[in-house]
Amino acid sequence: MTLAAGLRAKGSGLAVALASLALATAFAQTPMPGSGSVRLQPDWTSLEPEIMQQFQTVLRFDTRNPPGNEHLVADYLKGVFDKAGIPAQIFALDANRSNLVARLKGNGKKKPLLIMGHSDVVTVDEAKWKFPPFSATRDGGWVYARGTVDDKDNLAGGLMTMLLLKRFNVPLDRDVIFLSEAGEEGSSNFGMQFMVNQHYPEIEAEYCLAEGGGAIRIGGVAKYTTVETLEKIPRGIELVAHGISGHGSIPLKSNAIVHLAGAVAKVGQWRPEIRFNETTGTYFRGLAQIAAPENAKYYRDVLSTDPKLRAAADEWLFENEPLHSSMLRTSVSPNIFAGGYRSNVIPSEAKATLDVRALPDEDPIRFLEQVKKIVDDPAVDVHFTAQNVRPASAFDARLDSEPYKVLEAAAKRIYNTVTLPTMSTGATDMAPLRARGVQCFGIGAAIDMEDGPKGFGMHSDQERLLETELYRFVRYNYEVVVDLARAK
Amino acid sequence: MRAGLQGLGLRAWGIAYLAATLSAQAPPPGSGSVRLQPDWTAVEPEILRHYQAVLRLDTTNPPGNEHLAVEYLKQVLDAEGIPSQIFALDPNRSNLVARLKGTGRKRPLLIMGHTDDVTVDASKWKFPPFSATRDGGYVYARGAIDDKDNLTAGLMTLVMLKRLKVPLDRDVIFLAESGEEGNSNFGIQFMVAQHFDQIDAEYCFAEGGGVTRIGGEARFATVQATEKIPRGIELVAHGISGHGSIPLKSNAIVHLAAAVARVGDWRPDIRFNETTGSYFRGLAAISPPDVAAHYRDVLSADPKVRAAADDWLVEHEPQHASMLRTSVSPNIFAGGYRSNVIPSEAKATLDVRMLPDEDPARFLEQVTHVVNDPAVDVRFPSQNTRPPGAAARLDSEPFKAIDAANKRMYNVPTLPTMSTFATDMAQLRAKGMQCYGIGPAVDLEDGPKGFGMHSDQERLLESELYRFVRFNYEVVLDLARAR
Repeated sequence: MTLAAGLRAKGSGLAVALASLALATAFAQTPMPGSGSVRLQPDWTSLEPEIMQQFQTVLRFDTRNPPGNEHLVADYLKGVFDKAGIPAQIFALDANRSNLVARLKGNGKKKPLLIMGHSDVVTVDEAKWKFPPFSATRDGGWVYARGTVDDKDNLAGGLMTMLLLKRFNVPLDRDVIFLSEAGEEGSSNFGMQFMVNQHYPEIEAEYCLAEGGGAIRIGGVAKYTTVETLEKIPRGIELVAHGISGHGSIPLKSNAIVHLAGAVAKVGQWRPEIRFNETTGTYFRGLAQIAAPENAKYYRDVLSTDPKLRAAADEWLFENEPLHSSMLRTSVSPNIFAGGYRSNVIPSEAKATLDVRALPDEDPIRFLEQVKKIVDDPAVDVHFTAQNVRPASAFDARLDSEPYKVLEAAAKRIYNTVTLPTMSTGATDMAPLRARGVQCFGIGAAIDMEDGPKGFGMHSDQERLLETELYRFVRYNYEVVVDLARAK
Repeated sequence: MRAGLQGLGLRAWGIAYLAATLSAQAPPPGSGSVRLQPDWTAVEPEILRHYQAVLRLDTTNPPGNEHLAVEYLKQVLDAEGIPSQIFALDPNRSNLVARLKGTGRKRPLLIMGHTDDVTVDASKWKFPPFSATRDGGYVYARGAIDDKDNLTAGLMTLVMLKRLKVPLDRDVIFLAESGEEGNSNFGIQFMVAQHFDQIDAEYCFAEGGGVTRIGGEARFATVQATEKIPRGIELVAHGISGHGSIPLKSNAIVHLAAAVARVGDWRPDIRFNETTGSYFRGLAAISPPDVAAHYRDVLSADPKVRAAADDWLVEHEPQHASMLRTSVSPNIFAGGYRSNVIPSEAKATLDVRMLPDEDPARFLEQVTHVVNDPAVDVRFPSQNTRPPGAAARLDSEPFKAIDAANKRMYNVPTLPTMSTFATDMAQLRAKGMQCYGIGPAVDLEDGPKGFGMHSDQERLLESELYRFVRFNYEVVLDLARAR
């Protein structure tokens, strides 16, 4: 679910090249952490086979959720950590859906740092995949598999960081905790919810890093890096139409399928009102500064108080950069429609499920009323689904904090980009940690902006990651952790 | 398959408007010296026993398992000494043919009923769909009026003819056929292609007609003389898959929903044929003035007058609206597998019932035009299509026998109809057989209330079951007994 769709699924993008001038002048290179006397930097090139092997191994476990079977990953990681001499422990509400916590002890001068990745993946429609979804096939410099960018990249990044810290005996000012969690894709009761409620001391930390951000490439070059500091709140809404059942040879005005189709068409074409918060305001302003003028215009216009300018920019974003369009509002995506069981029988009921991503300040009751008004059909019931709702985060991650600065520096050094704070349109397991006061930051591997619209994005039928970007992300992950945790 | 007249929703029928004008009662056939009429009251428990027995066999299609009904019927026929034989393409989907021999002076008469039922959504049923529960004078079950009523009547007619040793001028053949609900390759198609000599006849009776009751009283009878041709159409929308947190303009569900909404709101052109023209004129003649106006208006050449009548029919008498045109009903919509994943494909199935003279390719073009979305493919799926055949004649001996029986037993006039649904008569008509669709009396009010055929509370009045068995018997007697 992850930043789900993070900036990765982005629309065709900031399509037009960012002003190269900005890039050239923006960042002088800073030395990497650990380039001093203690050897903290591995030989990255020689580590590539090991990274690839770990990545492919976890990708090849079929942990689609449901049913999950995340114990396959937890058990595998336990073996790896045991062999490396890193203490690790398994926690499970259901034996097949276990979580794993590994910890490298620091001297306790600072509170712990938590790095996490989720071990489950969303389901697949196998018929649609060119390469089998759990094959982790390497093709043309890419690795193809369900989970490559959601979230086994973070899982592999966290795992490698732990192994390397241990291998180089890096002295630490704070514990570094690694968490492989189950059930992120819709059953967090087995994963984050369980860990926070039952085993919070095992993962309690000052800061955490999880999925939800990453560098964005356009035309093969990293242009900017996002760090997720805030997220939308997922809420499902169901539309249920009732009509008279009967024989299909006699069309009925009350046909539940037709009523529901009308309702879904209306809701699907509706665009809820635009509203900004501090993160999204900062983000769009930042983007306007680094984007080429023809694109920058839309980021500025959408912030305008002139409703016409704003609407035109909104229209452009929905068409060309749907992720940005979703960041402007509580979004609605009708994703399931089910009705009828036989071609010659008019069913008495049909049901659609809307994926709603509410802005953090949205009033759910008020929003439901708006949806009812759009549907405007007494034959169609509109109600919230019973689903795991993640708590709204009490604390946004601060932009003036130590981790944010470290992340900014690493992005400059490794990707040569600026960092923009984002609000993720997808929910992440950071929500319950944020609710406990942990400062959480969403990171990830670099993704091609063009991949989303071409159908290679997260949750798509050809999810993939560039091998080179896997390696670069592991390095980014390691260096950020070293910067935050090594003894100084 | 029969959607019968339950869907009519006729309004405002003047009480006693019709009955007064009808012909004087004629004596039933066989009321002469030879005893040809059973004691019907005494036979009622036997009728109900067979009816409930076949209703309680789960012959939901798919998978069918019509052999259950065939085995039951075979055992009943064997006990009566009536020769019967089983024919099967698939042993689980068998058909049964029974024959009472006549003198051969006339060519045979075929009476038939199908043994399979449409599927059920069991959770929606008040009484379990295969319980055949009796409640308030009704029997509730899947198949109660589609088509185990005809099956029971056909069985009882043979049993009575045999038991009373009625001399016959022609063979009377009873066919219990499988797969009527969408797999006629196991049933009528198989019988016509492989064993036509077993069922070859001059005339046939099957489902497709009946008597319409309004306010508890029989008002008119219908005999199906021709039928629409079913063709499914599939709408398939393709879009980009992705995460539900980022709505996409290409969302396949949204595109398909808009297409289905447009098609669902669309009304194809009105077109009459001889049967439907006769039907609406006949209906206008026997209806109270306020209702008759709509039947006359819909026949009008003035597009405005016609459109207003059409609106009224769509709202109040959907069955009649469907008789005016090639109809479209979106009945299945399937897309998406997880609430947070935008699927790359969604599919809807339209139930299309074409007028006998419809040009399928041209109609598909019209639907494509209404959908008007390049993201949505519009196509015919592969499905068993029934062949078009000539309409049955209205000046024939069977039509007259049915007309007479309707007057005698229900005191109602008979109207020829085009059924909006397909029946297994299509294959027989294509072979030149004169086929007529009949059935028991049902309440006009039942359809809109959700008690109709294929509905979640399919039912039949017990008293109307008995009356239909008798009607069936007397019509067969009239056509087949030795004179």
